Amino acid sequence: MLDEALIEQLNRGYVCPPDAGPAWRAACDYGFDMSLVEDALFMTPEQRIAEHQHALNLLLEIEAARELNDEDRSG
Amino acid sequence: MMKTVQDDQALLSRLQAQQVEFVIIGGFCAIMHGVSLVTRDLEVCCRFTPANLRRIEAAVKELHPFHRLAANKLPLELTDELCGRLKNLYLQTDLGKLDCLGEIKGVGGYEDALGRSVFFKLSYGKFRILNVDTLIAAKEAVGREHDLAAVKQLRAIKEKLTHEAPRPNPTD
Repeated sequence: MLDEALIEQLNRGYVCPPDAGPAWRAACDYGFDMSLVEDALFMTPEQRIAEHQHALNLLLEIEAARELNDEDRSG
Repeated sequence: MMKTVQDDQALLSRLQAQQVEFVIIGGFCAIMHGVSLVTRDLEVCCRFTPANLRRIEAAVKELHPFHRLAANKLPLELTDELCGRLKNLYLQTDLGKLDCLGEIKGVGGYEDALGRSVFFKLSYGKFRILNVDTLIAAKEAVGREHDLAAVKQLRAIKEKLTHEAPRPNPTD
């Protein structure tokens, strides 16, 4: 049986840790999902670059697709 | 329609192969430090001597480079006179955008950047990048919204790394 605490945990997203310092808290309050930064800090710089390249390629593909769609729509 | 490409690894490898004197700055530097944002160009601070500019030209010469911010998209064709007068190079190449700056706002010229940089070792070479404090100073000096957003993450990263055991940053 699913308890309410578990459901709440699954739904709430990233929560700033209680022992976070002021700068970490400020970044959380700004709206960043700092779990992404936490993950990045466990990677080597090379892994960070590879992950970034992957995200950038995806972004560029989406933009290209959007342009094609816009062209199609405008006839 | 032409496919947009930004292959930073390939651009860095080419600069390295030509022994260009440069320090990685900007958004790509922030990513190497752990920032989770996406950047669309590669920015480096270079020594703006004729010899180094010629090395940059050699690194990108097969990539149809042009001055991307010039109204007529002028091809990159260095002359002695141009080498003496250029302060920045904003290039578009077949492998993406490459911005070579002679000076960084809030930091200074190449020598200042070099003195405030650290080595990061990657499988395709060893590169100098601005240290976190200097990158924060540079991004604050520029002060655009996305720079200040990156500063929030950089400050958080600095704070976390100051208070925790070292993470895998192969900085020699």
